[in-house]
Amino acid sequence: MIDEDIAAHALRFAGSKYAPVLVEIRLEETDTRTLAVKSGQMSYVSRSSDAGMNVRIVLKSGMGFASANGISKKTGEMLVEKAMRQARNARRKTELSIPPERAIDTKWEVGQRRSLVDVSLDEKLDFLAGIDNQVMSVGAKVQGRYYEFKDYETEGVFVNSEGARIRSFLPRTKLESHNMVSAKGDSAQSLREWGASGGWERALEWSVPRVLRDEVRMLKEMLEKGRKIKPGRMDLVCGPNVSGIAAHESCGHPMEADRILGREMSQAGKSFVTPEMIGQRIGSRYATVIDDPTVPNSYGYYAYDHEGVKARPRYLYKEGIINEFLHNRETASRLGMSSNGSSRSEFYLREPIVRMANTFVAPGDYEEDEMVGSIKEGVLMKSFTEWNIDDKRYNQKYVSREAYQIRDGEIVAPVKRCVLEITTPGFWGAVDAVSKKVEFTSAECGKGDPMQAMAVLTGGPMMRLRGVNLR
Amino acid sequence: MKELQELAESVVDEARDAGATEVVAEAVDSFASQVRFSNCEVDSVNSWNEKHVMLFVAVGKRTMSSDLRDIGRARELVREVVAAARHCPPSKSYKGIASGRFAYTRVRPDPKIVHLKDPGRFVHEAIGASEREGAYDVGGALTQRLENIGIASSGGASAWDESASLCLSVRAFSQPEASGHAVCCASRLSRMRAKETGAKAGQHAAAAKNPVLGDEGRADLVLEPLCLGSLTHSVTLMMSALRVEIGTSIFAKKIGKPVASRQVTFVDDPATESISRRAFDHEGVPTRKNIVVKDGVLKTYLHNTSSARRFGTRTTANAGPFIPTLWNLAAQPVPFHPSVLPGDWSLDEIVSDTQHGLYINNTWYTRYQNYGTGEFSTIPRDALLRIENGEIVGSVKNIRISDNMLQFLKSVDAVSRQSQEVEWWDEIVPASTLPFVRARGVTITRSS
Repeated sequence: MIDEDIAAHALRFAGSKYAPVLVEIRLEETDTRTLAVKSGQMSYVSRSSDAGMNVRIVLKSGMGFASANGISKKTGEMLVEKAMRQARNARRKTELSIPPERAIDTKWEVGQRRSLVDVSLDEKLDFLAGIDNQVMSVGAKVQGRYYEFKDYETEGVFVNSEGARIRSFLPRTKLESHNMVSAKGDSAQSLREWGASGGWERALEWSVPRVLRDEVRMLKEMLEKGRKIKPGRMDLVCGPNVSGIAAHESCGHPMEADRILGREMSQAGKSFVTPEMIGQRIGSRYATVIDDPTVPNSYGYYAYDHEGVKARPRYLYKEGIINEFLHNRETASRLGMSSNGSSRSEFYLREPIVRMANTFVAPGDYEEDEMVGSIKEGVLMKSFTEWNIDDKRYNQKYVSREAYQIRDGEIVAPVKRCVLEITTPGFWGAVDAVSKKVEFTSAECGKGDPMQAMAVLTGGPMMRLRGVNLR
Repeated sequence: MKELQELAESVVDEARDAGATEVVAEAVDSFASQVRFSNCEVDSVNSWNEKHVMLFVAVGKRTMSSDLRDIGRARELVREVVAAARHCPPSKSYKGIASGRFAYTRVRPDPKIVHLKDPGRFVHEAIGASEREGAYDVGGALTQRLENIGIASSGGASAWDESASLCLSVRAFSQPEASGHAVCCASRLSRMRAKETGAKAGQHAAAAKNPVLGDEGRADLVLEPLCLGSLTHSVTLMMSALRVEIGTSIFAKKIGKPVASRQVTFVDDPATESISRRAFDHEGVPTRKNIVVKDGVLKTYLHNTSSARRFGTRTTANAGPFIPTLWNLAAQPVPFHPSVLPGDWSLDEIVSDTQHGLYINNTWYTRYQNYGTGEFSTIPRDALLRIENGEIVGSVKNIRISDNMLQFLKSVDAVSRQSQEVEWWDEIVPASTLPFVRARGVTITRSS
């Protein structure tokens, strides 16, 4: 249990010695357990407890952030002095100004039907061994079979000089799988991830043994029967996995206001979006992309961000129009707006920056079979393997993990490694139908310096794109 | 910091008293300070301090790792970890830790970096130099790192080491779609070239002005060390024995076989002076120079003791951390300072010898369709300069390199005499020492 007096003491200490624009203090305690199984055998076990704190001080002349492991009044004082010195050393020409936010005093937590700390190592090992058994039951040649399960609980306390006081408790689970399936002298990789906030029940809901058994069976079929398609312009149905990565990469990232303002320029890059583009068309009227941290039990869930701002859904692209950027307090103030609660930090040692949470394409009113049934010549790309996008978030590439050729509204054959390489307006402008059911994939999003891996979901329904080039 | 070595030794003693048969303890006390800048001014100055002990214990074949972050409770925590290990199922793949009498070589860090109080002046020098080359927007990061490590193991490892470094990354824009990037890694303060780094980024940005859409097809590519580093980052991780075991390596079953052209020799050399120098791996084995690929032929994988025994060989002293780290698999062998050995070309000779090609400043977002076979793509960024008949004649944009990594390595036909130590963000980690190279006939694609 974190001693909140330590946060209050650091805040008083900062206020007694200086007159900053803003002071933020964040304390965290995290217990983490990791278990890995390789080729059906226990490979690795670890468990750790961590506790630490940070201080961020904003002066007109700059911003200073100092962090350390350990929580104590003495550490707090040391960090206040360090952050203050650093803020002074920034020596900005343009003064920083952060308008006040409404101070919130609250507590939030994600509940667990079965607490993660109550799940024994043996039970987790059985869980992972069960996955391996199902994968092997397919009878395919599968190398790797590496499954790593991690669960952790983070207790947090956030206070700031405006009077905010927020306590939080966030348990999370995560599973990564690595499988390499071989058949007919060829191979196909499957690197997948599941994540949720909540207790052990969330891990069981993923049905990973069945999902990975089906995945291996599918990859075997792709290798044995799949063919490359004849390159050309045709229609494409993206499965939720592909809709989700597109939502994340070519909508979520370019709509991060810190990128738009250049703060990530030498790391994750800038954005093709400029502040003046709010209200401009980027896609068809079917292209609505939402980033919503409040999806219950989602991997990217939070109720208040790391600047104490209440989380809410953000409509990034709305019916094809550039609608709302992801903001923290600094970027919002620079563009004359208010933060929409997008400030996140991986853990207490890192500064909070603008991040996505759960980014997904909004559902439409099509049935899934209508999407395929309406296509004369095209491809259903259900999931992807290789992908990337340029640093301005304009040119993206998705290569299929699972894909099928569509002819006259019917799925006729598996397709091997179908490639879509397309611009952002090209992608979102080609969407002319969206199905009803949204499905999510969990991911670790990378950004910041040092790199911060952030728990997120990507997702969406099926989307139909007309007349795109595939090869 | 003998104190950290003693702390590690006391943790090992405590674990053995509690019943552990094998123990490794690595105590780390680190400080980092970073100046982040964009739009030609400082955004924030950040710092982070960590003091912790990474602990691995085995009770027979039952193993457990833990990151002890509350040093004041170390004794109690160590006993808890050993008790937990007793209740773990045995790990058949665990084959022990290194044992023996080890001799270590330590290099004293530059006290001028250790005691540097306000590195921000380098940022202002870099920004100014970029602006003088015509850049209107300059951003990046300057990171100062100080690290003290003590290590001990039940196998006889006992040592301490310290390091200090500065790393400057500068990206400059002369137009919204014309940029250049340069970095400077310095393990001595006298090697920090802030002005030159800023100027180089600015010069690249100027050369990249007015880019036209790049062509699809095949081209000869001249890669800067920065660009090469973003590619070798993924390549050297695939040299890890654990990656080979789980099928996510292009190097599986290729020991003794050609995996690159004869011009390519990869070494991992943690013992050489660099910002990623280490005196010992995470098991406490003294590091050494390992030739992984010699004249294009794969000689070894990177091993810790356990993976080496599984492969019937000896450790290469590349044991990675026993606790999970970002993007890496738990306890996987890792490279510490990868290098491609220099060749005998000058950069001018490489460019003037290239009839139709591209000079590439940097790249990012390298991803693989299949880590086993090596199909990949990566997206060049910053100065992409067109070479025709041995001369740079303009700049291009919006292209992607889409090829096979083994094929790419085999297509390298020119390696420069000049090398540079590079580290950049998450794309080139750890720092690597790399030359300019030319790769022939690489596939270029673009959006359509």
